Amino acid sequence: MNKHNFFVGLFAMALCFLVSCTKNEVVEPASQAVGSFTLEMEYVWGEMGQTQPFALNQTLVHPSTQDSLTFNTFKHYLSAVVLQNTDGSEYIVPNSFYLLDLSNPSSLKITLEDVPAGDYQSIHMVFGVDSLHNVSGAQEGALDPANGMFWSWNSGYIMLKAEGQSPNAEDGSFAFHLGGFKGENKVVEEKHLSFRNGELLSITPIANPTVHLMLNPAQLFANQGSLSNGSRVHMPGAKAKQMASPFNDWAHVDHIHP
Amino acid sequence: MLLKTWTQAVLLSTCVLLIACAKPSKISAPSEAALVAFPPEFGEPLYKGGDMPLSSASIALGRKLFYDPILSRDSSISCGSCHSQVHAFADHGVALSYGVEGRKGTRNAPALSNLAWHSSFMNDGGINHLEVLPLAPINADFEMDEEIGNVLEKLKGQPAYMNLFSEAFNQQEINSKSLFVALAHFQMSLVSNHSKYDKVIRGETQFTDIESQGNKVFMQQCSSCHTPPLFSDFSFANNGLKLQYSDAGRALITGLAEDSALFKVPSLRNVALSYPYMHNGSISSLSEVIDHYTSGVTAHRNLDDRMQGVSVKPEDKEALLAFLKTLSDYEFVSNPKHSEP
Repeated sequence: MNKHNFFVGLFAMALCFLVSCTKNEVVEPASQAVGSFTLEMEYVWGEMGQTQPFALNQTLVHPSTQDSLTFNTFKHYLSAVVLQNTDGSEYIVPNSFYLLDLSNPSSLKITLEDVPAGDYQSIHMVFGVDSLHNVSGAQEGALDPANGMFWSWNSGYIMLKAEGQSPNAEDGSFAFHLGGFKGENKVVEEKHLSFRNGELLSITPIANPTVHLMLNPAQLFANQGSLSNGSRVHMPGAKAKQMASPFNDWAHVDHIHP
Repeated sequence: MLLKTWTQAVLLSTCVLLIACAKPSKISAPSEAALVAFPPEFGEPLYKGGDMPLSSASIALGRKLFYDPILSRDSSISCGSCHSQVHAFADHGVALSYGVEGRKGTRNAPALSNLAWHSSFMNDGGINHLEVLPLAPINADFEMDEEIGNVLEKLKGQPAYMNLFSEAFNQQEINSKSLFVALAHFQMSLVSNHSKYDKVIRGETQFTDIESQGNKVFMQQCSSCHTPPLFSDFSFANNGLKLQYSDAGRALITGLAEDSALFKVPSLRNVALSYPYMHNGSISSLSEVIDHYTSGVTAHRNLDDRMQGVSVKPEDKEALLAFLKTLSDYEFVSNPKHSEP
């Protein structure tokens, strides 16, 4: 190959690298300041205004049914977190799937990094796993079927799993596997959570504020009533919906620690 | 001279561009096309390998896993135990298969082929994606009775598997996703398109007179459910086996009364090799299957409308059987790439 050919070849390769690789590059905006915040789950038991702390392996009396329940498992999914800025813009937290497991306290504090600095007035999330990720085959991380939150015989995630013992259940135990991502009985719910009293989530490079999300497993029984009405749910359907809806409805942001 | 070198440069850059931009999951390069056949007459496959690269190494890993009893709790059975290649990946002529400790299943193990075109899996269609299919037989207590976490631990204890996963997916770690994707890659490679029927459609050979007559009968009587070229429309139907079913079929998934005793319409590819028949394996020969559709259908409340008027005249029965045998793909059932490694 002569010298001329060599340079033309070199130029061609350089050109094609430029063309072929631009797609993979992310254009960074000029030095956007970022910060972090923590989403901390707090589980309580009871009615609004009259709650006690919720914990596993502790006997709790349900305020309306008077059932005694001792939970040994409580896990559920949150996903698709979006923050609403006071300027009208939104920040979509990438790849946000969380399995909250009360037997694993570290799973109950989610720190979100690289959030654009700014004042945010509300947070939006999906209780459960969005429908697309129920039909997309094998997943990793929080969505790994090895976590025991995927139905093997009826593809789809168990959005909430609550198990334990109770003398009020027919055989002394209860197991509620609540799921369903489509149709009228879907339990996956989009929740828009406003911050109370005009509080703002202020993200700056120097602070790490905490948003306290309140969750109340006692609400699972708000419509279904006592365990004597049934202590097993293992598939999507009206029963799953009846239990998941009041639990999802009750959830709210209590306060923000700056 | 200058023109020539510029032409070379453009060709070269196009070449490099193609290589640099090829998506790992796209199956367009000739070397990848050879790994898995995608017959154009089957249409666009629903599964193309997912978001992990399809390679000879990923298929080889899936094949080893498919035939390895390590997937079962007591290492007694593999996928291949009930999905035997000589029977087009159905069980060895048994109605209901046996899992660990001889536990009996409740449905007939289906033949496997052309799974990349299936919109759902299992007789009740409960599985919505090829990658998550193995979870069901691994977990079911009357099949492998095992937890996926235990399978992963057992695999991690075998250096040979560590190497195979590393070769297939360039990962140092074995996780459930790589396990499922490898199994899906092997299963998608089980493409059956070398039956006599396929060769006739491609103009490589011709039906005999009786097969040709049977083809006409089939198109009139059977094809509205068993639609060529995949020989199923993948709908769910009740075919009037009896008035009372112990298996709720599709209703187990949807919870709807109108879906009770509906089952996925099976593909008839390799049907002569994958006896016995029906979701419960209750009919042992094709001849009896034709008799059922002609005179044995009971009026179940969810009987499929398409069952009305299905009737094969006595003089057409031999022809229909001859046609059904043209769906046997002997290259498929003897292909060493699909056999136990």
